[in-house]
Amino acid sequence: MRNMNHEFQWQLKGRCYKLGHDVQHAGGVVPNRIIVGRHFDAKEIIPHLFEETDPGFHERCAPGDILVAGRNFGMGPKMNGYIAMQALGLGLVCESMPFLAYRAAVGSGLRVITDCINATDICDTGDVLEVDFRNGYFINHTRDIRREYPPVPDGLLELVELGGNTGWLAQWWQSRKTEATAR
Amino acid sequence: MGMTAVEKTLALKSSVASVAPGDVVYPVPDFIMIHDGVVMGAARELDALGIDRLAAPEKVVMVTDHDVIYGSPRAAERGAFNRATARRWGVKNFFDVGRGGHGHIFPMESGMLLPGMFYFDNDRHSTNAGAIGAFGFRMGTEISRVLATGTNWVMVPSTVRLTIKGQLKPGVHARDIGFRLATLLEKGGLDADLDYRVLEYAGDLDQFDLAARAALCSSPTEVRAYGVFVPPSAAVLEHAKRKAQRAFTPLYPDPDAHYEADLEMDVSRLEPQVVLPGGVQNAVDIRDAAGTRIDHVFLGSCGSGMFEDMQTAAALLKGRRIAPHVRMFIAPGSEESTKRMAREGLLEVFIEAGAVMLPAGCGPCNDAVVGPVHSGEVSISTAANNNIGRFGARDAELYLGSPATVVASAIAGCISDARDIDGAFASAGACAT
Repeated sequence: MRNMNHEFQWQLKGRCYKLGHDVQHAGGVVPNRIIVGRHFDAKEIIPHLFEETDPGFHERCAPGDILVAGRNFGMGPKMNGYIAMQALGLGLVCESMPFLAYRAAVGSGLRVITDCINATDICDTGDVLEVDFRNGYFINHTRDIRREYPPVPDGLLELVELGGNTGWLAQWWQSRKTEATAR
Repeated sequence: MGMTAVEKTLALKSSVASVAPGDVVYPVPDFIMIHDGVVMGAARELDALGIDRLAAPEKVVMVTDHDVIYGSPRAAERGAFNRATARRWGVKNFFDVGRGGHGHIFPMESGMLLPGMFYFDNDRHSTNAGAIGAFGFRMGTEISRVLATGTNWVMVPSTVRLTIKGQLKPGVHARDIGFRLATLLEKGGLDADLDYRVLEYAGDLDQFDLAARAALCSSPTEVRAYGVFVPPSAAVLEHAKRKAQRAFTPLYPDPDAHYEADLEMDVSRLEPQVVLPGGVQNAVDIRDAAGTRIDHVFLGSCGSGMFEDMQTAAALLKGRRIAPHVRMFIAPGSEESTKRMAREGLLEVFIEAGAVMLPAGCGPCNDAVVGPVHSGEVSISTAANNNIGRFGARDAELYLGSPATVVASAIAGCISDARDIDGAFASAGACAT
């Protein structure tokens, strides 16, 4: 039985921020010093999100906004940038991601779908997008385009709803303690 | 539809009839490995959440292999923290300093890791398990969830099959296959992407002993394979039966399994390879790198740290000395290997030749905590990879070769073909000047 978070929004509606292909985590998402400095606190990372490619991004974006990336996004198992995206309430749609980058994003509790073929061809920065990460649909309201993409797998819904690895573990431990007390 | 080796293993360990690539499963591992470099991070994460006990402490294997001899006060502090953590968590299988060796080698030698097994590991070189017909999956920092709950989610990876055709020529080593394979995959010649795939070997595999199979697992990992599988031969099964610490059932792929890609490699004409600086995908035939003067040699690592690798080295070094300007470090894969090397005279050969013995473990292959190189120096080694900065200085030139190639190079003082050892450069340091 899965721990449901009924408050959780799987559907986001907001502005599109389009990224290119082969965006590396180090430099392309957050400066390398954030990674090597082992910063995992969202408050510390947020001011540096896309700092080297789109300064001030964190002040312009709003919860519900959706990043649409091309092929091979993230490149590597680092979590820092995804932690900031999750805390800002953003979603991520990628044409492809190396698996360990995807794993890091899911482990940060980010709403993310990948293998969204040609997604960057059907949107541009500023378009109004609506994405349902649980059911796998993508609507560009500005251009009146609708696509279906692979959704977040059922087996990972709980992990994302609970805020990623740390949130999941905290919830798991709490429920174990509650069960032990009840017995 | 049949299943590949990894699909069969994950289905069995997840107690489901079958799995397919993309399925999310929660396999129950045979054991859980964590190395000395990451115990502190995992313990602090669990402590912050108030999680004060592990799901299955009897399954946890803690290994001190990354920083064995404490080159800094910080390393000694971490060692003390790890020992206290092992006590606190009730971990009995703690292979601390001088007790086990390299976590991706000694469990295969000692019969702890056996064909058909599955385990979770924090480290990506757990792919070595494929040498014995098992799987070890990297969890990175998510090993904390495995420690707390006993499992974690795994998305079933796709499998790429590589059929090896032909026999290696004398003097050519399984590491040479890996170097050439990585180069063909990255630069063209073989069309497949190993990112998060399992590479399953097939074909003429009986020529490879367990050490050679560990070598076959190394380079695919460096081009992002998540697992490697070499179906156990009769000889490997015989080794496993002799050493087994518990019962085991080997798993093999079904004949009608589906592979994402099916590749072939004829190894019968393969020459010894040398990997040029910058990554395992830069392999060339040895004649194109021979003569490069070297300063530093390392023999060991998960790809080349088994006893047979030490035997290859000792056979070449016996009665010879390394060139006067070269320093050479040797890290066996296990404490048992070190003892056997003492009993069988290999240690004497190495020491007489002028090499420096390191304790069993990763040696300089982990962050150059021992035996680093200086700016501008040239190294040839059997390390897992030669990415920029792996041995310290970012402007050092790091080459890779098989155990035979690095030893021949140490003797000559420059990159040299071991097949020429009795001819062209004899033993006196042909490139010493």
